[in-house]
Amino acid sequence: MGEFGHKASVRFENVEKSFGAVQVLENFDLDVTPGEFVVLLGASGSGKTTALRILSGLETPSAGSVYIDDLNVTDILPKYRDISMVFQSYALYPHKTVAENIGFPLKVRQVGKDEMDAAILDAAKQVQLDGLLERYPRELSGGQRQRVALARAIIRRPSVFLMDEPLSNLDAKLRGHMRAELKHMQKSMGITTIYVTHDQIEAMTLAHRVAILEKGVLQQLATPAEIYNDPANLFVAQFIGSPPMNVIHGNLDGNHFVTNGVRVETTVSDQVPQAVMGVRPEDCQIAPPSEGTLAGTIYTNELIGDHALVTVDWGGDQISVKASKDFTGEQGDKVGVVVPRDHLFVFDESNGQRIR
Amino acid sequence: MASYDSTYQPGARSAGISGRERLGEWIDRHSGTFFIAPAVTMILIFAIFPTVYSIFFALSRVRFMPEGLKFRYVGFRNFAKQFFGSAEVHFLGRTDPVSIFGMVLFAIIVAAVLWWLFRSLRITTWVGMLGRSISAAMAIFLAWILCASLLSGNAIGTLYTTLFYVFVGCAIQFVIGTGLAFLCSQPISGKNFFRVVFFVPLMITPLGVGYAMKMVADVTKGPFEPFLKLVGLQDWVWSADAWSARFIMVVCDSWQWIPFIFICMLAALENIPRDHVEAAQVDGASSVQIFREITWPQILPVAVTVLLIRMIEAFKIVDLPNIMTGGGPGSATESMTLNALYIWRANDLGSSAAIAYLLLILTVVVCASFFNYVVLGQIRKTRA
Amino acid sequence: MSDATYRFNKANRTLMQRLFEAPAVGKMSPASKVVAYTLLIVWSAFVIFPIYWVVITSFKDAAAVNQGPYYIPWVDFTPTLDAWRTMFTEDPHCNFTAIARQFWLLIYNSLVWIISPVVSFAPMEPQICKIYLAFTNSVVISTFSTALCVLVGSMAAYALARIQYAPRFGNIMIFVLLLVLVILATTYLGAPWWASATVALALFYFLARALRRHFRLSLGNGDILFWIISQRILPPIVVVIPLYVMFQAVGMLDTHLALILLYAVANMPIVVWLMHDFFANLPVELEESAQLDGATRPRIFWEIVLPLTRPGLAATTLLILVLSWNEYLFAVFLATVKVQTMPIMVAAKNAGEKGVFWWEMCAVIVLMIIPVIVMAILLTRFISRGVLLGAVKG
Repeated sequence: MGEFGHKASVRFENVEKSFGAVQVLENFDLDVTPGEFVVLLGASGSGKTTALRILSGLETPSAGSVYIDDLNVTDILPKYRDISMVFQSYALYPHKTVAENIGFPLKVRQVGKDEMDAAILDAAKQVQLDGLLERYPRELSGGQRQRVALARAIIRRPSVFLMDEPLSNLDAKLRGHMRAELKHMQKSMGITTIYVTHDQIEAMTLAHRVAILEKGVLQQLATPAEIYNDPANLFVAQFIGSPPMNVIHGNLDGNHFVTNGVRVETTVSDQVPQAVMGVRPEDCQIAPPSEGTLAGTIYTNELIGDHALVTVDWGGDQISVKASKDFTGEQGDKVGVVVPRDHLFVFDESNGQRIR
Repeated sequence: MASYDSTYQPGARSAGISGRERLGEWIDRHSGTFFIAPAVTMILIFAIFPTVYSIFFALSRVRFMPEGLKFRYVGFRNFAKQFFGSAEVHFLGRTDPVSIFGMVLFAIIVAAVLWWLFRSLRITTWVGMLGRSISAAMAIFLAWILCASLLSGNAIGTLYTTLFYVFVGCAIQFVIGTGLAFLCSQPISGKNFFRVVFFVPLMITPLGVGYAMKMVADVTKGPFEPFLKLVGLQDWVWSADAWSARFIMVVCDSWQWIPFIFICMLAALENIPRDHVEAAQVDGASSVQIFREITWPQILPVAVTVLLIRMIEAFKIVDLPNIMTGGGPGSATESMTLNALYIWRANDLGSSAAIAYLLLILTVVVCASFFNYVVLGQIRKTRA
Repeated sequence: MSDATYRFNKANRTLMQRLFEAPAVGKMSPASKVVAYTLLIVWSAFVIFPIYWVVITSFKDAAAVNQGPYYIPWVDFTPTLDAWRTMFTEDPHCNFTAIARQFWLLIYNSLVWIISPVVSFAPMEPQICKIYLAFTNSVVISTFSTALCVLVGSMAAYALARIQYAPRFGNIMIFVLLLVLVILATTYLGAPWWASATVALALFYFLARALRRHFRLSLGNGDILFWIISQRILPPIVVVIPLYVMFQAVGMLDTHLALILLYAVANMPIVVWLMHDFFANLPVELEESAQLDGATRPRIFWEIVLPLTRPGLAATTLLILVLSWNEYLFAVFLATVKVQTMPIMVAAKNAGEKGVFWWEMCAVIVLMIIPVIVMAILLTRFISRGVLLGAVKG
């Protein structure tokens, strides 16, 4: 697989988009360097697809501008942007064969037949479709359709690659497989890629950098490791991680987080009357009842495989803990939970911002 | 925790099964019959029975007597009259003399049809072959009448007047209706207004359309009178010339029926997944390319089905020529239904039924052929 | 592998491209905008003009119609309400009591037909408010026939979508044979129709039972569906003569019931065709779950299936309503005096000896198309949501 000739940079500048009274994208800034793989991550309605569609030219922003390679593309048609896009539904033309589908971008550019056939074969080989060229999309499996969409996107060697939840229509096993292939392909071709998904695992595994959106606002743009280890706010902290981060409401008194009569030592120091403490299940530990930071009874104990997920009821609130797979506590047993000081995140509840 | 001791079994509360429950169960067990019986019975009584009954009218000489109808069997005389007897010119048109051009064209058509039939020998079963032979026979017959009357410069009869309404009318309506639907599927403002306006004519009774058009097309007191005068056509009377009268019929019929094509094609166009068009846009296709490559192939199955429905209804045309021209000048604008209607008024029930039957055969063969060779092919292409 | 890329260059857009290419997705190019709006407006004018002409003619008097074309009220002619006034007052009995009595008679006669051998029809008023009569007739006939047609048609459509039928080909042949024999007997031998029909039905029952085992070939649901839908091909002129004779024989000529039944059958193929598609596309799990809960088929149909297809049902009902409101050919044959419908009322205005009173006729037409336009607006809503598309897809 050869490298692509050109890698473009992409820049969103203060992009806004509203549909009537609904603002779906607010003051959106994003800088993508050439060859980078950026994932836009968010729940449905977070504006991530709108951002992608604005970049593709299928949507015009209400304000702000979009640049590809320092060329302002805000007001030009998709076809002049030198981008290609993989749709969530793949958007394969049902009446065209695989070869015709893949070759369509070249056909509309009036590329000669020989050159086109060679390019189709080349693109099909890259996604291991070369035996299926004469089939129709309805005769293909989900994974094969996905590959056709990919081939159609790579055949004309665009300078930016856009993907709108390309894996969401596949079953779990195939999704993992295609994810690996996508990552491999992007790495070897080195093409600038913007990828939209609601799946945090896809985001964490694929991206160079992840942009998390919520209600049209960019929450954090950072590498996957930073997002996980150093979330900027409560939303990001809760969005990333599986099982999700434990959240405990209380107040911050100096360098102690106080909740329900329990004082937990923290690394930060401030006076915040309404604060939220977050701690990941994998950072907590089960201890004898007297030794834990918190004490309570086991609500349920689920063996996941490589670990057990223990939910502990303490004073009316619940906290989940990733325990060793050998843990054998029963429902109702009294246990303690150790909350490590170094892995605590404290947030201001009024605005969700991290207290550092 | 709630107790789950009580159960809700039928008949649990009272011992045994009541008569009402037994009736309900009986109905349930025979629901297959009850659901379909009313529809089938109604169709048998009001459609199948009269259709079969009609054959006997067509094969008889029927007279009104004080004690009721009097049937006398006359064999196929009522039919023969339409082809060889007194009504031949009226029904088929003048088929004599046949021009050289007509002869040659007829020979070519016959050769083409026979070649098609010969080719299909290899690909169909004997049932398919039978159907194709019927289609071929009808095609050759229609071709002969066409070549001998119209293409030899002779007047056409009610048969070809009807076919003119069907084929020319449907073609015009299809092209304009699809065009309008395409326009309305574009990003234009006022879409809903145009949609309703374009749809309304379909909903107006054909009778009302007939009278409205009669007023509008009136050359002395109609709204276009000053314009005709302006271009020096004040002496032109469209209803006096056979072809202009037929053409006005098609125009008025189109006024009513284009909305049907329009609304169906618009729905089809708007039902194409938005993704497909967007993907093509990102891939760089122009709007012409998108229409030719993406949109048109996807609406084609709907298009041929809509065309079939329109054709079926077009064969029944009667109100417009009845009201606007009374079938005139002469019998130039008479459709077969109108022809049968006039003969019924003249109390010749047998001939009227015969013409109606000929119309039925014509409709069935033409529509079934179109369905089998065009519509099914398109549907198969999208499904296979 | 070549490194060729395939880019359009924005820089060298020609003037033609600027004219014919959309500025952005979801917008139209300047040229196509001009062409599109011109065509749309021209066509709107073509569509609206005849309707406009009918409406203004209904406000003209004899002079304004006969002295040549006048186009705009208050500008080149003075609108009058003469036509409308005549329409509602031409008969002396256009008062409330007469109308109420008329309405009662309509219902009475419709009901009494069933027991007509025992109770005789109430004679209609000799002089009645014709326009009112026609309007009520049209309303009564189209609503009842639509209700009947949609109910019976969707029952059949549902059954064909869910229950497997296998009518034996031989039984159908026997039925057709007996039908032919019955008609032969009544037409040429003069046998009374009810006697031959009874004998034939009994014969069919026994023959079908006795020979059932010998018929191998049977038809499927698809065949039945095709058979019902294909009834739409039947030109009305084929059946109208026998129907006239038939209704005459049972004394149903010129009754509401005759037209109600007839319109219901004529439109049945459309209902079955459209509704079958809706039913077939419903998830069958809902019905199966209801079945496990102990619901009977009729109850499932009434409480689960019909509510689920409400948009389709509504659109189909509207369509059938319009079709039966507009029907003319059956009405002109079978409704001679008492149950004249609106279309016949319109046609009757043509029959005057003093020439056609166009203004009066136009008033009737306007009265007739007002409800239809309301239905058209409703129907376009449904159709634009793609409600009726499924069936057309084949």
